[in-house]
Amino acid sequence: MIDFAASFFYMLPDLNAFTVFTGSNILQYNPSMKHKLIRNATRHFAEMELAPIAAEIDQQRIFPREILAKMKPLNYFGLQVPQRYGGANLDSISAAIVVEELSRICAAVGLCITVHNGVAVYPLLKFADSRQKETYLPLLASGHAIGAFSLTEANAGSDAGSVETTAVKNEESYILNGTKIFVTNGGVCDVALIFALTSLPDKKLQSSVFIVESKYPGFLRGEVEDLCGMRANPVSSLFFEDCAVPESNLLGKLGDGMKIGMATLDNGRLGVAAQALGIAQGAMEAAVKYAKERQQFKKPIASQQTIQNYIADMATEISAARLLLYRACELKDSGAAFGCEASMAKLYCSSVASRVTSLSVQIHGGYGYSKEYDVERYFRDARVTEIYEGTSEIQRMVIARTILSQPVL
Amino acid sequence: MVTELPWDEKTGSLRRDLSSGMVNPACKRALEAALQIKEKHGAFISVLTMGPPAAEEVLREAFAMGADRGILISDRMLAGSDTYATSFILAQAIQKEVSGYDLVLCGAYTSDSETAQVGPQLAEELNLPAAAYAENLTFSGRTLRVRRLVDNFRETLEMELPALVTISMENYEPRHTSFAGLDKAFQNADLLFRNAADLHITSSILDQHSSRTKVRKIFLRKSQKDNIIITGAAASAVDEFLDKFEGRIGAVIGKSIEAKKRG
Repeated sequence: MIDFAASFFYMLPDLNAFTVFTGSNILQYNPSMKHKLIRNATRHFAEMELAPIAAEIDQQRIFPREILAKMKPLNYFGLQVPQRYGGANLDSISAAIVVEELSRICAAVGLCITVHNGVAVYPLLKFADSRQKETYLPLLASGHAIGAFSLTEANAGSDAGSVETTAVKNEESYILNGTKIFVTNGGVCDVALIFALTSLPDKKLQSSVFIVESKYPGFLRGEVEDLCGMRANPVSSLFFEDCAVPESNLLGKLGDGMKIGMATLDNGRLGVAAQALGIAQGAMEAAVKYAKERQQFKKPIASQQTIQNYIADMATEISAARLLLYRACELKDSGAAFGCEASMAKLYCSSVASRVTSLSVQIHGGYGYSKEYDVERYFRDARVTEIYEGTSEIQRMVIARTILSQPVL
Repeated sequence: MVTELPWDEKTGSLRRDLSSGMVNPACKRALEAALQIKEKHGAFISVLTMGPPAAEEVLREAFAMGADRGILISDRMLAGSDTYATSFILAQAIQKEVSGYDLVLCGAYTSDSETAQVGPQLAEELNLPAAAYAENLTFSGRTLRVRRLVDNFRETLEMELPALVTISMENYEPRHTSFAGLDKAFQNADLLFRNAADLHITSSILDQHSSRTKVRKIFLRKSQKDNIIITGAAASAVDEFLDKFEGRIGAVIGKSIEAKKRG
């Protein structure tokens, strides 16, 4: 009953719930047995099912439907959905661990799962009325429908208030017109949350959110984007041409767009942070393995102090990133405001991912620049974590705004 | 694999502080076999393990996969048990806590010591018919048919329930664990915790059934394989091969293969 992989393992006696591995392949904050088992289960799945295809689906831009079909009964699509809607009812650290472990092997699948759970299902859990929940949660939690969240437009990204898609009331429907771009899961989503400008009773224009099914007439998809990383995810544009959405599919109240959008992005940032963390972890493990194997000057490059310094920095930053992320998750589950901490986690995890993947390529030398090695993919995948779900610049804005709004003591 | 583990050279036991627990891979396959029997014929699955308190996670995982009940036997007094003592203790627990069982499934061997002894010894303690290294189980009524692979020979055995079977790594690829299952495993799992006193195992009983063996050294045996090339015409090559090896092959498979020599 021994995990031979964890050959260096320290259990701090006074902090039973806090296990730190300093082995070659595991670095985990492990607050509980449940989190450990969730990590093991996801890691086992990812290594068995995703590792063999991760490079190919990246290069060929294949959305791995067969693998996703295996993930559906295992509750990957309903991580935090209550069991009565068919979900797994996990806490936020568990959900982060799942995304982290998927992304450690295949970030594009991690992306599909985190977007579906974090920004499509989550706002329904938080803002939907009971009819909307009964209709959409079982579909989404079982994975029968894949979700997407769609705010970004050609002229509205960081500036979420500049959305130009419109929703005009017509009898018992809203008629949507406009174009959304860079929609993660866009090429395959069955249900999308769409931000559109609506006219309030006082004639003010404010954004609102609509639950839009892909089968509604006037819902059209653009070509799948040819992106630098996360290539197995079908990121696409969505076009709305006189797309009629039932009035009952308005999420929250008319004009709630900003409120729902900001709350959703706070949560989505935890997911992107988890994803970045998983990429960094995978890249570091690859670097450690390579550094021990690669011989130059008749000894492994891991015996060179420069390489040791790189590895020490990677491990330290990953540990710090993990603690920051799990703290934000804990804060969320406690019911407290967690937006600032989510931004910190997202900002830091994504910059760690970029640094660690870059160093990992450096340790691999020429091989790291080749598609023969996974680190080349990790390097490309990491880059976007500093961009989507709010750029690093926007995260700093959110953090600074929170800090500066606190009274000076 | 065994020699890669952190062994304590003084005591001959595993440094559990340097290793992290997990479900033994062959035991996970035994559980998968049990789950498939449950799905096909209906069953109530009790999972037993003996180990430190942290071994609870093994039972939680088994519960998440579909087991109905878990029993953890944990006691400082039982630490360091060899296969003989372990099978005695497991037998006491089964007799006390799992009445009316039909089938005991064990992993054929553990990844940490690979003795493969506990299952067969447990069958002796429980006085059950047994088969080791099974790769497939089928039932007709209360007759269990076991296919097993030993020394590259496949054989099929039949026995009446109740019986004990150890499951090898050939088959019964374990299912993936679902998150809803894991969540439930931490909400309402039926788990029993038993120490030596609960099982009426006193120190005097334990003395009688205590470990008979002591691990003195763990080492990787140097390979003694040689490639032997026999040349010549096919018939004479076969004769030469049999001359050299028929005794050893016969000893391994337990029957004589003495061939008629060609004239």
